[in-house]
Amino acid sequence: MIHTVMSRKSWAVLPLAAVLALGGCTRRDAAPPPVGQAVLRISQRNEPGDLDPAIASMPDDFFIIRALSEGLVIPSPDGATPVPAAAERWEVSPDQLRYTFHLRSNERWSNGEPVTAEDFLESFRRVLSPGTAAPKADLFFPVKNARDYLSGKLEDFGSVGFNAPDSQTVAVTLDRPMPPGEFLPYAASGPWIPVNPRAVSRLGSQWTRPGNFVGNGPYTLTEWLPNQRITVKPNSFYRAAGQVRLAAIQFVRFDDEDSEERAYRAGQVDVTMKVPTERIETYAHERPAELHRAPLAETRYLSFNTRRPALNDPRVRQALSMAIDQRRIVDDVLRGGQEPADRLIPTAISTGVLDKGPPRGLGYDPAEARRLLAAAGYPDGRNFPHLELSGWSSAPVLEAIQEMWKKELGIEVAIVLREARAHVAALRSGAYDIGFITLIPDVPDPISILENFTTDSPNNYPHWSDGVYDYLIQLAESAGNPAKDVGNFDAVALRGAESLLLTEAPLAPVYFNSKVWVMRTYVHGWREDALWTRYYGDLWMDSTGIPRH
Amino acid sequence: MFRFIGRRFLQTIPVMLIIITGTFFMQRFVPGGPFTAEKAVTPEVLHNLEAYYHLNDPLWKQYMDYVWDLCPKRFHPLALVNGLDFKAAFGIDFRPSFKYPNRTVNEIIADKLPVSLELGGWSLLVALGLGLPLGILAAVKRNTWIDYLCSSFAMTGICIPNFVLGPLLVLAFAIHTGWFEASGWYSPIDRVLPCLTLGSFYAGYIARLTRGGMIEVLHQDFIRTARAKGASEARIIFHHALRAGLLPVVSFLGPAAAGILTGSFVIETIFQIPGLGREFVNSALNRDYTMVLGTVILYAGLIVTLNLVVDVVQVWLNPRLKFE
Repeated sequence: MIHTVMSRKSWAVLPLAAVLALGGCTRRDAAPPPVGQAVLRISQRNEPGDLDPAIASMPDDFFIIRALSEGLVIPSPDGATPVPAAAERWEVSPDQLRYTFHLRSNERWSNGEPVTAEDFLESFRRVLSPGTAAPKADLFFPVKNARDYLSGKLEDFGSVGFNAPDSQTVAVTLDRPMPPGEFLPYAASGPWIPVNPRAVSRLGSQWTRPGNFVGNGPYTLTEWLPNQRITVKPNSFYRAAGQVRLAAIQFVRFDDEDSEERAYRAGQVDVTMKVPTERIETYAHERPAELHRAPLAETRYLSFNTRRPALNDPRVRQALSMAIDQRRIVDDVLRGGQEPADRLIPTAISTGVLDKGPPRGLGYDPAEARRLLAAAGYPDGRNFPHLELSGWSSAPVLEAIQEMWKKELGIEVAIVLREARAHVAALRSGAYDIGFITLIPDVPDPISILENFTTDSPNNYPHWSDGVYDYLIQLAESAGNPAKDVGNFDAVALRGAESLLLTEAPLAPVYFNSKVWVMRTYVHGWREDALWTRYYGDLWMDSTGIPRH
Repeated sequence: MFRFIGRRFLQTIPVMLIIITGTFFMQRFVPGGPFTAEKAVTPEVLHNLEAYYHLNDPLWKQYMDYVWDLCPKRFHPLALVNGLDFKAAFGIDFRPSFKYPNRTVNEIIADKLPVSLELGGWSLLVALGLGLPLGILAAVKRNTWIDYLCSSFAMTGICIPNFVLGPLLVLAFAIHTGWFEASGWYSPIDRVLPCLTLGSFYAGYIARLTRGGMIEVLHQDFIRTARAKGASEARIIFHHALRAGLLPVVSFLGPAAAGILTGSFVIETIFQIPGLGREFVNSALNRDYTMVLGTVILYAGLIVTLNLVVDVVQVWLNPRLKFE
């Protein structure tokens, strides 16, 4: 009898106990493959919308496009001025209005055709044609008349600032003078990557399919299983084909960091996108050589809706901003090497002159915050209206901020989590109180970040309006009279604008995000900048250990 | 019977029309659109995008155009065999996707639906293959340790959610033992863990329903009569009791099959299966208007069809019901 009871109980729990026990034990290690058959498997978070550089819009799309094609220049992995790619050199006119790019003589498409200046011009015309509906066409706006051609005001592409003196030369005329450090990041951006006009006109939207794709990059497209995996193999016509040392790269789709991390432990992927926060310490402890951290040019900030009562008072916004202990959020909540944001422009963007004595934010000062709140008429948070703190993710950060405001200022806010696009729509229409949002610039250009907060910008989520600020941004944009010292003049206006933004506090920067990922130790030559731009030409895998099954 | 099926088919037309209309207009009133992003597109670009997708037309015109594209215009069902092409078979055009501009919704459905059907099919087999024997065994050996064992298995299957069971199975059989891959949908062996995960929940349910149905039937007079006439225990269970005992299971199978097909989102995410469930959920998050409509229409059609099949099977199993 006793025997029966015991076995009944133990039988019922046996399968579960076995599974749980196994979960805590060892894990399988992946052995690196020999170089000749080195297939690198990189986790891909979002399925690319398209692999057409004119149509693609997300950094994730360009993860793959940049393996397949390259523009005149490519972003430098260390964040400095872009480096040569399809163009081997360029000249800048003394007035900084005209850039002349010289293509490499050995630059070929993956079907063997030479890459010509006309191909570049046709690609640019395609991006700017209204009928193409290219989502990132605004990255051509520094070019003379590009904006008017895109909006249909101008119908002759000849009047846009592009021309090809010969088949090896692309000349670009700008709308306003821009030093190389300011203009080249635009020329290195995604939509400037050329397409083969003959392939596009022959195949229409089908040209990005495997077998059809024609590019000028280190790899060429051989497999695209939507929502599953994309495979690229070396392009024998690539200008530096001899340096490509992988047999293939597979971009394997993972919806989230948890399934990706399980696959990494099972040896199915070599490079991940993100390590789940709760696993960072385990990896740091057990496999430190595989754990990588890198800063991102990504500012997470709180936007205060300046049309709301209480929040229309700068003292209240300053108080809310100064009561946030960013250091604690970074160290105790996020734990992924993020950096407290004492300004809006991410430190990962090298801004040259702007970085000499950069503007500082309000800092963490709870005593001053209490004083400001009392001065605004809410001593100890009394009579403070009931406000909502909304976001679409990062609930732990919002909870930490909620707690800090309650403890330091005595005010209660409610946290509202919305679906991502609903959240952005609420920010844009002004149907919110305080919103948590991410700012990722397309190019490492401080103006492109700061101009978001001018009165008419669609990204002015605080709905803040300041004549001086608008004027400073306008000054910085129109600066560049060659007689003056362009860099400095720009920088003074921009520094003034950023300081104004930080002291008037329509927004409160919280932290600069970072990237935390794991990568096998046999992977070498990984190059990725703070704006998620990758260069695959240097990648290789060593042959330590046994070949993979 | 054919009249019954024909009439039910005609009833589905207004149902589908209501679903299409409701979905079409509801998604337009959801905040945010296909081009909403944290960094706004510039006004010129937005204008070009809206013109490209005809979002500048009046809403009623967009609706009429869309419904016209959906209307069946030809009838070559055999074309479906050749890669599920609804356009070639019936002239139904779900249009290009917003999120994947170089793919049509027809193409995405043709690509993903077979994966979801395969996942659902195997899972249903797992559910029936485990659930039915366990339920029958539990009913026949009622209140013995066998019953308790079967019932606790069934309860465990129901209680452990997919998103817990899936990663546990991966931990045990992919990461620790290395018998399976942790995710993916490439070789036949990749089907095992996902189908086991998805099937076990339904297996638990089916086991409980079978047990309940069988216990009720085994107490009825006609079973006692059969026993009195000397029928063997096996014949009583499988010939006399099972047909009636399965009725609750059959009614459950309609919605369950629909649930397995449409609700596979979690499993598809855990195991990175390129099925339609992920497209269904992500299309709503992406405000991919055409993809949302395409998947909703497809799933609605599937559910309507499955319910019809269940009704027919029930009449066939239960002599007290008639087609009318």
